[in-house]
Amino acid sequence: MVLADLGRKITSALKSLNNATIINEDVLNDLLKEICAALLESDVNIRLVKQLRENVRAAIDFDEMAGGLNKRRMIQTTVFKELVKLVDPGTKPYVPVKGRHNVIMFVGLQGSGKTTTCTKLAYYYMRKGWKTCLVCADTFRAGAFDQVKQNCTKARIPFYGSYTEVDPVVIAMDGVEQFKKEGFEIIIIDTSGRHKQEDSLFEEMLQISNVCKPENIIFVMDASIGQACESQARAFKEKVDVGSVIITKLDGHAKGGGALSAVAATQSPIIFIGTGEHIDNFEEFKTKPFISKLLGMGDIEGLIEK
Amino acid sequence: MFSMFRGLVGGKTLTEADVEPVLEKLKDHLIGKNVAAEIANKLCQSIGKKLEGKIIGTFEGVSSTVRSTLTEALVQLLTPKRRLDILRDVVEAKSSGRPYTIAFCGVNGVGKSTNLAKITFWLIENNFRVLIAACDTFRAGAVEQLRTHMHHLNALHPPEKHGGSTMVQLFEQGYGKDAAEIARHAIEYSRKNNFDVVLIDTAGRMQDNEPLMRALAKLIMVNEPDLTLFVGEALVGNEAVDQLVKFNRALANQSAAQSHQVIDGILLTKFDTIDDKVGAAISMTYITGQPIVFVGTGQTYTDLRKLDAKAVVHALMK
Ligand SMILES: Nc1nc2c(ncn2[C@@H]2O[C@H](COP(=O)(O)OP(=O)(O)OP(=O)(O)O)[C@@H](O)[C@H]2O)c(=O)[nH]1
Ligand SMILES: Nc1nc2c(ncn2[C@@H]2O[C@H](COP(=O)(O)OP(=O)(O)OP(=O)(O)O)[C@@H](O)[C@H]2O)c(=O)[nH]1
Ligand SMILES: [Mg+2]
Ligand SMILES: [Mg+2]
Repeated sequence: MVLADLGRKITSALKSLNNATIINEDVLNDLLKEICAALLESDVNIRLVKQLRENVRAAIDFDEMAGGLNKRRMIQTTVFKELVKLVDPGTKPYVPVKGRHNVIMFVGLQGSGKTTTCTKLAYYYMRKGWKTCLVCADTFRAGAFDQVKQNCTKARIPFYGSYTEVDPVVIAMDGVEQFKKEGFEIIIIDTSGRHKQEDSLFEEMLQISNVCKPENIIFVMDASIGQACESQARAFKEKVDVGSVIITKLDGHAKGGGALSAVAATQSPIIFIGTGEHIDNFEEFKTKPFISKLLGMGDIEGLIEK
Repeated sequence: MFSMFRGLVGGKTLTEADVEPVLEKLKDHLIGKNVAAEIANKLCQSIGKKLEGKIIGTFEGVSSTVRSTLTEALVQLLTPKRRLDILRDVVEAKSSGRPYTIAFCGVNGVGKSTNLAKITFWLIENNFRVLIAACDTFRAGAVEQLRTHMHHLNALHPPEKHGGSTMVQLFEQGYGKDAAEIARHAIEYSRKNNFDVVLIDTAGRMQDNEPLMRALAKLIMVNEPDLTLFVGEALVGNEAVDQLVKFNRALANQSAAQSHQVIDGILLTKFDTIDDKVGAAISMTYITGQPIVFVGTGQTYTDLRKLDAKAVVHALMK
């Protein structure tokens, strides 16, 4: 993840504060420049980066602050607080409830990894003993149902879909209804890839959400995405009630900084990350432990609580 | 964006000190448009060099100087250095009795298979017969995805419309097989059955995944396609640089020294999803020096365009 990778870089930038004899505006500006450049190279949204810079500047008043130590601490604390904001929306993720149905709908841009991740999530719950299944509500992409079918067959996950029905809303409704009757606990709905520029696709997403009334909607984002992520993520959130984020393809070189803007734009936490094409290349993501790890990377642990 | 130059007074020679803050803003502007940070930096440096020492007249003078310097540099960057005419090359290959081959490669989910299908459509419209080689033998549904496209395309262009010949066929050997071998068999099959073009679909792979990159290099080395297209999505940020550097390197390492079997061109997909954040087009061409051969602008067969360099630069300068 971007912040973990950035951790060292930023920590060393912050440490340079200790070497500076006087802490003044120039020192702060240099520090911010270094941190912001690192964030931008990792695709963090430029507006968020600018905001971070302004927030830190606004929080540090050189005239009012007394000793050097105080200034250093203030700067370090503020920078970390701002970094934490990038990954922590301050909301809790949906937690499925045993013994009843939990409908989880996947949405996202084309090719972001929804279908692959649907199977991973189903497999994850299945292995934990939940009664789990998958509904393929993508009738658009060529071979979409075959993809789900092959994945599910291999992992022995019950699935629902159709080669003949063309309306994904009908499939989603029928599939969810059938699985509810059969007492499934985790019912995952895979949907087509879509983007905000095409109204009809967004309308379709809303309809599926309206008829299936999912307990949670997961927005899937590819770790390599750049500056276009934010406006897409915001548009998804405005249309349907996105509650969680999954970042995929973190096994590559990409740090996922662009995808982080989805956290801010949807006000939703990251719940899992995808780390490969195989069904078990999937890791839980917990914001708070991640942050403590991030903070633990320097000698500044604990600063944030003060 | 050019309001940033309002701070400069007319009638003096531009110095580094004048130019630097302006370039900082320019860099942020480019990054905001999704140009990779490293590339934005380099572009600004070269613009800076061109600007220093220039004598500025009125405000309009500076503004238009910067604008034209940048526009010129970007249009030049996006304009192909050599002409690539696929239809002509297909005819040429045909006249020498062999099929023209194109390989599609790139990271996962960028649109390789879909845009391969769009190119098939375009070739059929130009009355060429296409064999699709299903060399993604890994991802679930990859073969069926191509078969579905084949059915749709043959339905749109039935044999009746083409003197009785089936315009597109799928060459597949299922999953788990060696991709390079399937491509080789496909090309053989194509020679025997008079196809004009072989389009090779490959599995998506991360540029850092060495075994998979080696397998791709082998496919390219064994089959020596006429054209190797790198498929990249317009959504990609700074990764564009790393992807292209490493795909190029992996392919170049494997090829014989004299035949430069590296990326010949770029297919830029999902251009319809990015509004004016067109920076990936800049990053990709800057890194490879190769042309953007096609632009994918949607999910149907007709959503395939040539790059409009002027429009891209316009969006970027906005
Ligand atoms: N390396 C890697 N590849 C992944 C990961 N998750 C998904 N993929 C690959 O990304 C590609 C696209 O994945 P899909 O699951 O088909 O994406 P999708 O969002 O369902 O695509 P559409 O339905 O067309 O919108 C496939 O090649 C997957 O194998 C991951 O975590 N790591
Ligand atoms: N909006 C838009 N979507 C596109 C475009 N090109 C492809 N797609 C979509 O992107 C998704 C992935 O496309 P694929 O062709 O399966 O991608 P791929 O690179 O072959 O994926 P893998 O083989 O799994 O690596 C599909 O939903 C396509 O419809 C485009 O130009 N615009
Ligand atoms: Mg899918
Ligand atoms: Mg494919």
